[in-house]
Amino acid sequence: MEFELTAVQQQRYDTILSASSDQLGRESNGPDGYFTRQRWKTAAALGLTGLCLPADQGGGGQSALDTALSLEAFQRGCPDTGLVFAVSAHLLACGVPIRDFASDEVRDPWLSGMADGSLIASNAMTEDDAGSDVGKLAVTARYDNGEYILDGDKSFASNAPVADLIVTYAVTNQKAGFLGLTAFAIPRHLAGVHVGEPFQKMGLTSCPAARVSFRGCRVPAVYRLGDEGQGGLIFQHSMGWERACLFASYVGLMERQLERCISHARHRKQFGRAIGDFQAVSHRIAVMKQRLESARLLLYRGCWLMDRGRDHVSAVALAKVAVSEAAVANSLDAVQIFGGAGYLSPTGVEQQLRDSVPSTLFSGTNEIQRDIIARELGL
Amino acid sequence: MSDDEISERISGYIRERFLSGDQQQELEETTPLLEWGVLNSMNTALLLMFIRDELNVAVPPMKINAGNFQDVKSITALVNELARQQQAATPAGTESA
Repeated sequence: MEFELTAVQQQRYDTILSASSDQLGRESNGPDGYFTRQRWKTAAALGLTGLCLPADQGGGGQSALDTALSLEAFQRGCPDTGLVFAVSAHLLACGVPIRDFASDEVRDPWLSGMADGSLIASNAMTEDDAGSDVGKLAVTARYDNGEYILDGDKSFASNAPVADLIVTYAVTNQKAGFLGLTAFAIPRHLAGVHVGEPFQKMGLTSCPAARVSFRGCRVPAVYRLGDEGQGGLIFQHSMGWERACLFASYVGLMERQLERCISHARHRKQFGRAIGDFQAVSHRIAVMKQRLESARLLLYRGCWLMDRGRDHVSAVALAKVAVSEAAVANSLDAVQIFGGAGYLSPTGVEQQLRDSVPSTLFSGTNEIQRDIIARELGL
Repeated sequence: MSDDEISERISGYIRERFLSGDQQQELEETTPLLEWGVLNSMNTALLLMFIRDELNVAVPPMKINAGNFQDVKSITALVNELARQQQAATPAGTESA
């Protein structure tokens, strides 16, 4: 058993942390509050938009564990959680299924564009009546002479307002339930693709999200991912990567947050003493550290199992629950430690709480993750 | 294990876990499990674990499709075929007890 990063991993982590902090550490989003193409390009120049995409297409060719470590360092150096989330969703929910299932005609140029930052991708799965229950999708795809005609609405797609590519899932066989889904990667400009106005959200505010509608959208068959009926499996495959790697960014968030809390507890004085001298504060910080480190170990282990081709479904579910719930709990603690200052938006402390709440929802709610864990235990 | 035995084990599991015992004995070999929603994503994952743990057959992801999982009959045929392949691939003398 080995708990240390290799020298190569440590060097890559330090390089990304330093570059992320220097080049993306200060929020400079557009007037609408959303990340700009320039910031996206900066992330791409650091290799962050193509971490686990093939090296032949300009990606990093990284394993799940190395991708997770890179995203952790990215978020630790960059307080803009919305940008890190947008890059992660682009990479994991879209890049992974395109990497593994796209047709030869489109795979390489799209991966190259995704890695170099010229293409932004959005994953459109969720529908009004199909959240956790993906067998209830209503968007349909009807085959017609070398094309699929897509119709229906996706209710929540992160990155959609700025996307060049949309990865989506539609019913091609009504009688086959969740095995009747087919996956597609569709250029945003195709006729019949409509993206709604960006939502007002609680957190991850620099990442725009919107509804995506398909109205008689004719999609050439080369844009299908995998075979007909494989959509459910392809989605689970991409979610496996997302649950394992994306949540490493919240490990990075907690690292940054903990450093701030420790510094604050050392320097803030009340009753003539640093507040960290009060056990009520120091123990709160000790518990934050314990949540962070236990979540980190579960996450690294989940990625490690994935990389070895071992059964990792339950391990990744455990990690997802542990990281997301640690992030919410630690963010609440951080607000309490900073007191009134933590409640004020300019300090960025309350922002971490708002950015953490959605982590218990996306990539499969924590309730679904507990179902998976219980199922693997034979219950 | 014969086709009949595999079919009986799989039917029994589906009755017990997904059909509350199926007191009316409505489940047949050709009941459309996907179309009727008996096999959704969660239930299929449970069935795959049962097949792995109780019937000692690993179903590769590429075999999880609508044709192979449409009813008990097609699942039985799949499990039987995979069992034969996996048995043939096990080197002599390494079978587990």
